Amino acid sequence: MNQSLTLLELNRFVREVVKNNFPDTYWVRAETSDVRRNANGHCYLEFIEKDPVTQNIVARARGVIWANTFRLLESYFQSQTGTAFTSGMGVLVRVSVEFHEQYGYSLTVVDIDPSFTIGEMARNRMLVIRRLEEEGVLRLNKELPIPDVCNRIAVISSATAAGYGDFLHQLASNPFGLIFYTKLFPAAMQGENSEASIIAALEKIYENRDMFDAVAIIRGGGATSELNCFDSYPVATNCAQFPLPIVTGIGHERDVTVLDMVAHTSVKTPTAVAEFFIDHQAESLARITDLQQRLVSIARQAISRENSELALLSKDVYHHSIAFLSKQNSEIGNVVFMLRAYSQKQLDTLRQEHKEQVVRFRNAVEHVIRIEKHRIENAAQYFEMVSPKNVLKRGYTITVQNGKIVTSATSLVENECIETIFSDGKATSEIKNIEKWKI
Amino acid sequence: MENMTYSQARKELEEIVRSIESGELDVDKLTEKVKHAGELIAFCKEKLTKADEDLQRMLDEIA
Repeated sequence: MNQSLTLLELNRFVREVVKNNFPDTYWVRAETSDVRRNANGHCYLEFIEKDPVTQNIVARARGVIWANTFRLLESYFQSQTGTAFTSGMGVLVRVSVEFHEQYGYSLTVVDIDPSFTIGEMARNRMLVIRRLEEEGVLRLNKELPIPDVCNRIAVISSATAAGYGDFLHQLASNPFGLIFYTKLFPAAMQGENSEASIIAALEKIYENRDMFDAVAIIRGGGATSELNCFDSYPVATNCAQFPLPIVTGIGHERDVTVLDMVAHTSVKTPTAVAEFFIDHQAESLARITDLQQRLVSIARQAISRENSELALLSKDVYHHSIAFLSKQNSEIGNVVFMLRAYSQKQLDTLRQEHKEQVVRFRNAVEHVIRIEKHRIENAAQYFEMVSPKNVLKRGYTITVQNGKIVTSATSLVENECIETIFSDGKATSEIKNIEKWKI
Repeated sequence: MENMTYSQARKELEEIVRSIESGELDVDKLTEKVKHAGELIAFCKEKLTKADEDLQRMLDEIA
């Protein structure tokens, strides 16, 4: 049976049918996915459609934009939307429907309507913002205070971005001599991974949140500007609820991204982020300098006031002292006069007493002398009277034997000689008889 | 002073300046307060302008 077809024959048939039934080009609304560009400048991608509620993909088609078309569309799209043509965008494209025997079904893009994408992005942003608002987190980061000393800054940036270098240079060359400490948490700021990589960087900072005062999310210097990740709900909700104030400088032409809306402060460029931190610190420094100047001027005033009061006081003290001294002087004069008079009187009394004492003493001494003289005279008479000479005169004699006075008869021996001494001579006698008496 | 935060130091400094400006201090207290205020000013300025190498090293060591 010659009823069967080869695959090629079938595909050729399908191709013919498609070609005949889709002779025109058609405006199609879809979301881009897996957008890539090959070496020849052709752009390959997937068009998808998601169920708005479940977000499940409900339609899919391969797409291609040939290099000569893509060159024109790309720059036009970017100038209109402020963002590069990339994955995850809602687009309105004019396509021709193709079927290729070998590659199958695909859509070839011949035109694009950027205003639709702008609308889609705005709508998408609105949805994200509304969700954040409903969850009550939209303004959380904005409400965080920026501390007085805000100089430990966690930086989320691509390590090689020119904007990162600008940021560091700006901080380091601030004219106030302010010190900043920075730590880079590298993240891909564009491309498929940017969303996940920014969130990972935030998580790492969160783990070390005590070591930082603020977060800077910066981007700049890259060729293409792709902002999808800055409108994404996961990045926005992470930033909104981050415990440190976030300052963004993601350099783009378009008005504002969701990230800019939730961040504490949003400025255009990395350099401007640095300026923000410098200004803040400079203000803190100025406040201290102001307090210092006030202190110096008040202290000076106080000292000069005290000085003049002191001068007045010392003048007072001088006058009072002089008056006091002269009063004291005259009082002392009086006292001296009185003292002198009193002393004189005392002296006179003492002198008188002394004189009387001398007289009394002399009388007493004379009396004693008289008595003693008399006593001596009596003694002399007595001694005169009892002297051996006078005793001998009165008839007493002294008996001596062998040169010794004999006072007792016991020592005498008969027939020995004794001497008898008289007042005017002596006699030697021989003892004839000894008669001893009991006394 | 070592354990003081910048905010505490600044608050105390403002308090001192206010009390001196109100003229409620005698000379002895004034001298003492001005001396302390000077220390607080130095402390605050140092926080803002003097590099703490240990701190930067700690940040560099975060993996």
